Amino acid sequence: MKAIMAESRITSSTNVPTATRLLAKQPAKPSGVRRNFWLRLQGKEGALFLLGIVLLWQFVSTSIHFAGAYLFPSPVVTLKALWVSLPELLKGTWSSLIVLIPGYALAVVAGIVWGLLVGTIPWVSRMFSPFARFASPVPPTIYIPYAIALLPTFRTAAGFVVFVGAFWPVFLNTAAGAASLPQRYRDNARILGLKRTEYLWRIVFPASLPHIFSGMSVGLVFSFIMLTVAELFGASAGLGRFVQLYADYADYPRMVAGILYTGAVVLVTMELLEQIKRRALFWVK
Amino acid sequence: MNALDTRSTNSVPGSGLKVESLRFAYNGTPVLLDINLAIAEGEFVCLLGPSGCGKTTLLRLLAGLETLSSGNLSWKGQPITGPSLDRGVVFQDYSLFPWMSLINNITLALAKSHPETDKKWRLNLAEEFLEMVGLADAARKHPFELSGGMQQRVAIARTLALGSPVLLMDEPFGALDPVNRARLQDLVLDVWSNASPRKTVVFVTHDIEESLYLADRVIMLGSSPGRIIQELRVPFARPRLRRTLAGSPEFQALQEQIAERFRRDTLQRIEAESVVNGEAEGI
Repeated sequence: MKAIMAESRITSSTNVPTATRLLAKQPAKPSGVRRNFWLRLQGKEGALFLLGIVLLWQFVSTSIHFAGAYLFPSPVVTLKALWVSLPELLKGTWSSLIVLIPGYALAVVAGIVWGLLVGTIPWVSRMFSPFARFASPVPPTIYIPYAIALLPTFRTAAGFVVFVGAFWPVFLNTAAGAASLPQRYRDNARILGLKRTEYLWRIVFPASLPHIFSGMSVGLVFSFIMLTVAELFGASAGLGRFVQLYADYADYPRMVAGILYTGAVVLVTMELLEQIKRRALFWVK
Repeated sequence: MNALDTRSTNSVPGSGLKVESLRFAYNGTPVLLDINLAIAEGEFVCLLGPSGCGKTTLLRLLAGLETLSSGNLSWKGQPITGPSLDRGVVFQDYSLFPWMSLINNITLALAKSHPETDKKWRLNLAEEFLEMVGLADAARKHPFELSGGMQQRVAIARTLALGSPVLLMDEPFGALDPVNRARLQDLVLDVWSNASPRKTVVFVTHDIEESLYLADRVIMLGSSPGRIIQELRVPFARPRLRRTLAGSPEFQALQEQIAERFRRDTLQRIEAESVVNGEAEGI
């Protein structure tokens, strides 16, 4: 009995490499229905999961009757609401992006420049790090009421909090990337006798790009959070404002449509950044 | 070989590279002990020794990438206090910046050695350097698209573009297959003998055969701590032919002699250590 168990363990362990090889996008081998099923699923799990969610949503919203059912508009109703509100949503996207893009862009530029300096110059690091340690963990949403009170227009206030939300991730990642510059790049730069600005711009900056891009991804997510939250507070237009407005009117189909639409906008923007990253980091193995 | 002559060096005869009673310690542990070495201008010297003997450290000191603990280091009478365009370095790998194309890696060096020139001129010259190492067609490629041997070719081209009269090479072919290694050795010898004035080369290796094929003089370093255990003038005339040389009894005898010297050093060290340990046990 023991021998048989051992044997089966051996065969199953020798099967592992085959399985992993098969999972690496190779044509399915006819070896058992079970495995075949999972292999045919390759790459489709995500779509199936989404479909499952939509079905569940459909089921809950149409077949179960409970007190708060009006809060769950069915997928079809939501889709219709989305279609009807599309012009309004597009306008909202525009007024959101007009705040988000300058704030985010400014944060990226400032975060990279300052991060490179802090990451490479010891005294700048000594000067700034204590402040950064204090200021960077503050949840940036906490600034929103103050920024709205302080700054003359809603746009400048929202732009400012977007900046604050995106700056810290970009800065912290850039500084970490610059500080962990591999010795070999520093040696080569010294051998070539590069001046400080050349060194920062042509060596430290590109070498830190993997870090910088992760900072930019996090910063982008933060930007959207900051923006939509700011819009909930006091915007006259924009995606967050759209959701808040229809929640106030208890028009839940439109509200849910607004949430889904906002998700799609963030997704597209993130994908755009991912594409830029892939181009810029072509040299990273 | 036109590109080689673009940065003329006024050679003062005599001085060359000088290392005088050099000591280098890292965190209190001596790495190099009492190194004395004089390398003439135009000489090809190999630093030969087992890993951990401090030969790379010595090269980094010569490059100005490390600061010595005590002693003197000079090139043409000028003390070495930091890196300088006088001394170009080829590292074992990673000499190139992976985000720059080959030609940009070279123009970066040219911008330093020829600061007064315009970009177009540098691009032309950079192509000439790449051609010299047989990689003109790959100018727009990036290092990751190249094999290790090709990358080292470009690294050599870059060092030549720097126009340094001294080439410091840190086990540059240690990671290459034998065929590529032989080709690149020949390339280095070509570059060295065709440049006028001749480059001064300090070449770090742990390969006895490589050192005997390349060098005018082999400096043997022993380990723990690193120190010179013997110097050896390589008696073979140039140009050396790999096949006839490797088959010759003189070559083999010399090879064996060097290996024997290293074995003896290792044995002595082990004996010394066991004596120390033995005494410690007695106490």
